[in-house]
Amino acid sequence: MRRTGSPRPIRLVNMLKESDILKMVKEDILRILGEGKEKISFESLNTEIKVFPSFISKVIKDLEEESLIRIEENFIRLTQIGEDEAKDILRKYLVLENYFKKTSNEKVAHRKAHVLEHYISEEVIKNIKKLYTLKERGISLTKFKLHEESLIADITAPSNELFERMISMGIFPGEEISITNKISNGVVVKIKNKKFALGKDIAKEIKVIKQ
Amino acid sequence: MRKLKILLIGQPNTGKSSLLNALVGSRVVVSNYPGTTVEVTEAEKIFDNTKIKFVDTPGIYSISDRSEEEKVTEKALFEEKVDGAIVVADAASLERSLYMALQILEAEMPTVITLNFAEEAGKRGIKIDSKKLAKLLNIPVIPINPLTKRGINELVYIISKIKERAKRSFKIEYDDHIEKAINKISSQIRETSMPKRFIALRVLEGDEDFYKYLKGEIIIREVKESLVEHPKVAEDVSITRYGTASFIAEKVTQIVLLEKRPQPILPFPLKLGGNEPLRLQEKIDDVLLHKIWGLLITGLFVLAIFGVLLYLGNLMQDVLLGLTGRILSSLGTAEYSIAMMILVPGLTGLTAGISIALPYVFLFYLSLGLLEDIGLLSRFIVNAERFLKKLSLSGKSFIPLALGLGCTAPATRATRVLSSKKEQFHTASLFAFIPCSSRIAIIMGIVGFYGGIKLAISVFVTLLAAGLIWAFCIKKIVHIKSEPLLLELPLYRRPLIKNIFAKSWVRMKDFIYIVIPLLVLGGMSYGILNITGFTNRIVEPLSPITTWLGLPAVTIIPLVFGFLQKDLTGAMLLSVLGSEISLAMTPLQIYTFGIASMIGIPCIIALGMLIKEFGFGKAIVLTITSIVYGLLFAGLVWRIISIF
Repeated sequence: MRRTGSPRPIRLVNMLKESDILKMVKEDILRILGEGKEKISFESLNTEIKVFPSFISKVIKDLEEESLIRIEENFIRLTQIGEDEAKDILRKYLVLENYFKKTSNEKVAHRKAHVLEHYISEEVIKNIKKLYTLKERGISLTKFKLHEESLIADITAPSNELFERMISMGIFPGEEISITNKISNGVVVKIKNKKFALGKDIAKEIKVIKQ
Repeated sequence: MRKLKILLIGQPNTGKSSLLNALVGSRVVVSNYPGTTVEVTEAEKIFDNTKIKFVDTPGIYSISDRSEEEKVTEKALFEEKVDGAIVVADAASLERSLYMALQILEAEMPTVITLNFAEEAGKRGIKIDSKKLAKLLNIPVIPINPLTKRGINELVYIISKIKERAKRSFKIEYDDHIEKAINKISSQIRETSMPKRFIALRVLEGDEDFYKYLKGEIIIREVKESLVEHPKVAEDVSITRYGTASFIAEKVTQIVLLEKRPQPILPFPLKLGGNEPLRLQEKIDDVLLHKIWGLLITGLFVLAIFGVLLYLGNLMQDVLLGLTGRILSSLGTAEYSIAMMILVPGLTGLTAGISIALPYVFLFYLSLGLLEDIGLLSRFIVNAERFLKKLSLSGKSFIPLALGLGCTAPATRATRVLSSKKEQFHTASLFAFIPCSSRIAIIMGIVGFYGGIKLAISVFVTLLAAGLIWAFCIKKIVHIKSEPLLLELPLYRRPLIKNIFAKSWVRMKDFIYIVIPLLVLGGMSYGILNITGFTNRIVEPLSPITTWLGLPAVTIIPLVFGFLQKDLTGAMLLSVLGSEISLAMTPLQIYTFGIASMIGIPCIIALGMLIKEFGFGKAIVLTITSIVYGLLFAGLVWRIISIF
């Protein structure tokens, strides 16, 4: 996959085409399991992920070796480590999706789509679409309850400068966020043990989803 | 001996100052960066026949952020000869620290990363593989603890050898169209010591300061046009950079689930609860950020600080005045000799200056530094923002406004904490209504003394009303968009008192060298004008003003010449009216005089400061407008009151 702004901009290893596919399948399986399904059968995996079944069985074997999943008869289930990994993958997709939205202004989006169709698998596209529905479910941070764990789904920054500032402070799509205090002029939130006071204007531009 | 200059760079609250302390011990030198109030701290250490100069820069989140702190750091990075940088990273929020580290690496600066708070993060279940991080970034990464000095020796050793390391840059690969743009811009850059790729990126990020490195107008125009066409390029760059940072951070961070660990059977019950201190932090915040309590505590703190400062200021002025009085009488000169008439107002300026410098400037900055270091200041700013926002001001203007209660001159400088010039000017215009210590002295010493405390309080209330009307009018006329509230609230922690002392000392020295000579000069020039009889010459031509104010014609002298030296206003009034002011003026006249001398940019020193910050035109317009507004207001209020 050509880099698309997801958090994979440095290619540490020169990946082969096949390993690319294997990686995607691996991420997909983890994501499907991570989205709330407790266990999933091999069969339904084959229908959900449209690649050669041989790839799927190879990936499942790999996953078990990395002790990310447990195989129980015909079903697979996430282990504790697998759950964490799955969460991360979901997060990465959120980032990718956000990136798409940010760059999708007429000309660029058009050209990008052209480039990407050669590199991106249908599964990824499907996931991106799924994330759009996720974002639609995203609600404004101001409407969230106190101490409720949530995930930043989207930031619609009022200006470039503010966006850069928020990002450099670590307020970024995909991060876990919770409101610790409601103040009359906004909210105080916690992101990774850092606290921020956000004015109402900013808080309402942060869309979050329940974890 | 070899010499090295090393910058310490880090985000706010990552423990840069304590690292500097650990590195060099007690020899910390604070220096104001030329032309700004944002300090850069320098300190030297000699190691292995190498003199290493460490430069501690202000805490910033990113070097693309256009704040004053960022500009200082950028200047330190690029406009001087620097041999390397230490990026102080916070282990608990690594990706955020890496974001800036990547920016520094993109600038091809020889860099060492120190992992601060690694132990604290470990207690919370965050483990960072520093060796892996070093390998990924291709630079040294050293876990440190400034308190136990862990890693400090290793750091110093590596720094002393920094020049021997091969220069390596870390390349973030951006999106195709951005890479294309980088290549295009890189080919059009003048010869400079800075890496071309870095300049190209800064240009793409919309930093106009970097346009000067481009060859010719054509490429600048092209860049501008394409930035208008693709406004998201800057966002793309930062997203990719953050993506890279969080990718690397993820690779090297391991989260251990603490809850699932078997709990040992309470050998040291106090050390066990890793979450206890955090819970206390939460509790403090619940109170300090409470809708009512938070506001109350903020207000009380400000009042308490100024109560103490005001008291100390008055005490000091009394002592000093007594002292100068004794010196003068011991000189045995006749009281009305020419020399005395110049010397006395000059000395009044000197005592006023000293009694402002020590309590208001030194102690104020000391308490400000303490509040900041402890972590209280950011909470106060959040609470103050509630009101300031209504006046189109951002929360940060709390600092210059509070400082204005001491002396307008340093407060004008402090407006630099605000990001836009427009907002800075708006805040500065409010100094016309924030009584500085000298103006407070007039209210208490003249209005309060001769008219009673009720009258003094009503002057304060009128001042507040006049200020609010002014602020709302400005809000209506000029469209000012205040910076939205976006502030990190650091954890509460113990302050580094030595550093705060050093910084406050520097600020006071500034004040002593600039403001005090001006106060003395202002007083002496009044003395000269008085001797030549010039002061009396303005009474006749300016009588329309006193008529409008309903005041005796001679009161124009203190009103006008108070501008030279505000602390002389009281003395001038006494000398034109005689000591029986309550006989010469009605209470209403005293009140009107109080207001007329209160509102407006107070003195020639404040005007000078305004000129320095905002240019001659703006400063003059503000000063004249505010004084005219004050005179109109005083005259109107007096007339309205007389109706009843």
